[in-house]
Amino acid sequence: MESLTRQTFIAGLAWAGLSLTTVAAFAESAAHVGQPAPAFQAVDADGRTRSLSEFAGKTVILEWTNHECPYVRKHYNSATMQTLQKDMAKDGIVWLSVISSPPGEQGYVEGLKAKELTVQRDAAPAGILLDPNSKVARAYGAQTTPHMYIIDPKGTLAYMGAIDDKPSASPSSLNGAKSYIRQAVAEMKAGKPVSEASTKSYGCAVKYAPQS
Amino acid sequence: MIRHASETMMRQRDRREGRKTGAARRLLGGALLALGLALPGVALAAESAPVTSPRVTATLLSGRDTVAPGERFHVALVQKLAPHWHTYWLNPGDSGEPTQIHWTLPEGAKAGEIAWPAPRAIRVDPLVNFGFEGQVLLPVEIAVPADAKPGETFSLKAEATWLVCEKICIPEDGTFTLDLPVGPAGVTDEAAQQRIDAALAALPKPAGFRGRLAADGDRLALALPGLPAGSTDLRFFPVSDTLIEHAADQPAKPGDGPGVILTRSSAFKLDQPEISGVLTFREGGEMRALTLVADADPALVGKAAEAGAPAASPPAARIPVPAEGADLTLLAALAFAFAGGLILNLMPCVLPVLFIKALGFAQTAHRSRAETREQGLLFLCGVLLTFLVLAGAVIALGALGSSVGWGFQLQSPPLVIALAVVMVLIGLNLIGAFEIGGAVVGVGDGLASRGGRLGAFMTGVLAVIVATPCTAPFMGAAMGYAVTQPPAVALSVFMALALGFALPVVALSFAPGLLRLLPKPGRWMLVLKQAFAFPMFATAIWLIWVASVQTGPQGVLAALVAVLAAGFVVWLVGVTRGGLARRAFGTVLAALVALGAGWFTVENAVPGADTQARAGDVQPWSPERVAALQAEGKPVFVNFTAAWCITCLANERVALSRQEVKEAFAELGVGYLKADWTNRDQRIAQALAEQGRAGVPLYLFYPGRRDGQAEILPQLLTPDMVIAAARRAAGRDAKTAANAP
Repeated sequence: MESLTRQTFIAGLAWAGLSLTTVAAFAESAAHVGQPAPAFQAVDADGRTRSLSEFAGKTVILEWTNHECPYVRKHYNSATMQTLQKDMAKDGIVWLSVISSPPGEQGYVEGLKAKELTVQRDAAPAGILLDPNSKVARAYGAQTTPHMYIIDPKGTLAYMGAIDDKPSASPSSLNGAKSYIRQAVAEMKAGKPVSEASTKSYGCAVKYAPQS
Repeated sequence: MIRHASETMMRQRDRREGRKTGAARRLLGGALLALGLALPGVALAAESAPVTSPRVTATLLSGRDTVAPGERFHVALVQKLAPHWHTYWLNPGDSGEPTQIHWTLPEGAKAGEIAWPAPRAIRVDPLVNFGFEGQVLLPVEIAVPADAKPGETFSLKAEATWLVCEKICIPEDGTFTLDLPVGPAGVTDEAAQQRIDAALAALPKPAGFRGRLAADGDRLALALPGLPAGSTDLRFFPVSDTLIEHAADQPAKPGDGPGVILTRSSAFKLDQPEISGVLTFREGGEMRALTLVADADPALVGKAAEAGAPAASPPAARIPVPAEGADLTLLAALAFAFAGGLILNLMPCVLPVLFIKALGFAQTAHRSRAETREQGLLFLCGVLLTFLVLAGAVIALGALGSSVGWGFQLQSPPLVIALAVVMVLIGLNLIGAFEIGGAVVGVGDGLASRGGRLGAFMTGVLAVIVATPCTAPFMGAAMGYAVTQPPAVALSVFMALALGFALPVVALSFAPGLLRLLPKPGRWMLVLKQAFAFPMFATAIWLIWVASVQTGPQGVLAALVAVLAAGFVVWLVGVTRGGLARRAFGTVLAALVALGAGWFTVENAVPGADTQARAGDVQPWSPERVAALQAEGKPVFVNFTAAWCITCLANERVALSRQEVKEAFAELGVGYLKADWTNRDQRIAQALAEQGRAGVPLYLFYPGRRDGQAEILPQLLTPDMVIAAARRAAGRDAKTAANAP
C-alpha cells in the first residue's frame, strides 16, 4: 500500500507538473512615506507602457481619479485640479492621473475617452495611466478618488493622502482649503522635510477590480 | 441598532444565497415607498415631509407634537436606505463622508451634536467603510428656550448633507422643517417618541472604564481592562480617521487582560493624549456597543507616521495568486477531468481490478477480436453508467442545498464499511478463496458467455465504486468547477472523467497490438492475480481505519463483523453447491447471516460525538484561528483533509509529516491547522467552495499578516514545495525580500 501510494504519487507528479500553478512571486509592495515608491507598469491613454523608472530624476505626482466621482468633479468643475496640474508642470513635475476602475465600474474609460476628458476639462496631466485591473492601486493602497502621491526625484515617496484639508464634495469647501500638494512641493523645493507627509485621503472609494 | 448590525453582517455574508429574498425585499420596499409617496401632505406634524431619492428616503422626526418652554427633547434625522446603499458614521473609514446637519433654530434654541449609533464595518474589498445600512436614526437633542411663548410656533429647520454609496457615491442633501406649536406643557408624539427612544436605547453606552493605547511593535495595542469576560467579536471604531487602518482585522491582544491589536494608519497622527471611539462586541450572543475613551501612551502622542518607519502593510497590498479551480473554463475543466480519470487507473484500489481485466483480454485475444472489443465497450458502459449515477447524486444533493462534494459517500460510515467488505471479497476472489464464475472480475471461464458480458459491465461498475475513495490530481479542480455549474455542464465534466477513467481498458480492448506486449498467459498470471489480492486487503484495512476514525471502536467491530459475515456467506455458497436442498439451506443461512451482520453494522456504525483525530502541534481549523494566527504575524498552513482521502494521506506521508517540513515549519513559526472533513462539516464545505473546490485535498498557505490572501498549493505535495511555500508565506522568499520596501 505504502509503496503503491508512492508510485501513484510519483506518477501523479508528472501530471501535476503540467498544471502546476505558476505562483508568481509578486513582491508585496506597499506605499510608505520615506520609502521607495512601489514600482509600476501601466498602459497609458496612448497605449504606451509607462513605468515609474522612466521618470527617475523627476518629481512625479500620482492622482487617482474617477471622472464621475462627485469629489473629483468638485476639483475639476472648479478648475482647481487643472490649475494645480499646470502649476506643477511649470515646475517640471510629471503629473500622472491614474484610473483604476475596472470595466463596468464607475470611472472606467478607455484611452480615447480619457484623452477626450482631458481636452473637455482642459486638464494638463503629463499622462493618464489606465489600471483597469487595479494593480497600481493595490500596490499603492489607493483608497479614494482623489488620492494623491508625490514621489521625489530619487524615487522615494514624499507624500501620500488627501488633495486638501476639506473633506467634502461641496464646491464651497474649496474656499480656504489648504492644498497639501502645494505645501509639500514648496517644502520639497526649499529642501525642507514635508511637514504633513501622510494625511487621510477623502472621496469616493476606489472601485477595485476583483482580485484575480 | 446593534442587533441590526449583526444582522447586516450576516446578510452581507449570505448575500450570495440571499439574492432572491433580497429582490423580494427590494420589491416590497419599492411598493411601500410608492405607497408613502402617494400620500403627500399627510405626514404628521411630528415628522417632516420626506426628501427622497432612489437611494434614500429621509425625514426629520420629532418626539414632541407640542413643545414646552425650557424643555429638552429629541428629534432624529431618519434615513431609510435602499438595499446595498449606505451612509457614513462620524469617521467614515477608508472613504466617504459623514452625514452633517446644519440647524436654523428660533432665537435662543439650541441643537446638540448627532448622537451617533454604533457603526458597522461595511466591506468593499479591499476597503472598509464605517456606516449604516437599512434604516438609521440620527438623534439630536433640541433645547427650547425658556422664554418661548405658548401659542408661538417653534420652527426647526435642518439642512442635512449626506453621502450615500453603494459602489458609486452620490452626495445628497435635504432641507427639513418642522413647525411645532409651543404649549404650556409638552405633548409627546407616542409613536415617534417610541422610535426615537428605541434609537437612544441602542446608542453605545459609556464604557465605565478607560482603555489604554500603547505601541505594540509597529502596531497598536488597545487594552480594555473593564471589558466583560467572555466577550467576542471585538471591533474598535475610532473617531479619528488617522489612527488605524480601517480594513485591518482586530485580533485579540495576547497577554494579560482583554484588548485588541490595531494596525497603525499609514497617515497615523495622534495629537492628544486620549483617543475615543466605539467598541462593539458580542456578549452572551448579544451585540453590545460602548463608547470608549482611552489614554494614549505619551510616547505615541505627537507622532506622525514617521518617514521610514516600518508601518504595517496597508490592507490593499496582497499577493495575487491565481485561484486554481475558481475560474476554470469548461474546456479546461473537461481536460482536467479527463486527465484525472486517467490517473485514477493507477490508484492502488483500482489498479488490480483493471489489470486483471486487461489480463482477461490477453487470455481471450487469441479467440476473437470482436469479443474483446465487445468486452471493452461493455466495460465503458459500466463506467459511464456508474459515474452518471454518482454525478446525479452529487448534483441532486447539491440542488437540495446539502453541501456535498466528491467523496461525500465516504462520509457515511455504513458505506465505508460496505466498501471495505467489497475490497475483502475482491481480495478473496483474487487469491482464489472462491470463484464466482467470472461474474465479478471477469477472470476464468465463460468470458464470451452471457455471464462474461455481464462480467465486463460489472467490472466497469466495480472499478468506479472502488475508485471513489481516491481523488486523483486535477479531479479536485474539475469537480469543484462541476458542482458550481448547471447540471448539463456538471454532467459533461463527470462524463469526461468517466471517459478518461475507461480509456486504458477500452484502448487495450481495441488495440490487440498492445496486448501482444503482455507476456504469454501462463502461471505468472495466477501469481500476479493472487498478489493483487494484497492491495485490496490493504485498502480494506485503510477503509476500516476510516470507519474507526468516524465512529470509534464500535465502527471497527461493525466493520470486522461485516467482513466476517461476508466471508462466511461466500464460503457457504461455495460449499453448498450441488443438491437443491443443500443449496436452499445454504442460501437461507447466507441470507440470514448477511441480514444480521448488515443490521449489526448499521446499528454500530453511527458517528460518535467527538471522534476527530487531534494530533500534537496540529490545531483544528477555523477561519477565526487563521485570522488570529495571521494577526500574530504567523504564516498559516491549512490542510483540508479527510481520513478517507487517499491523496491527502499520501501527501501527509511523503511531504507534510517529513522531518524537514516539520523543522521548516518550526523555524518559520508556521501555524499548522487541519480541517478534517472525514465527517460532514458545513463550515469546511463552505471554505472549500470559496476556493472553488468540491472536495479534499486542499492546501492553503496564508502569509503572516492580516488579510493576507492564501496561496493554493498543488494537490500533490513534495517536501520542497511545502517548504518553499512556507518561506514565501513567511516573507523569507529571496525574491520577495529583495523587492520588499
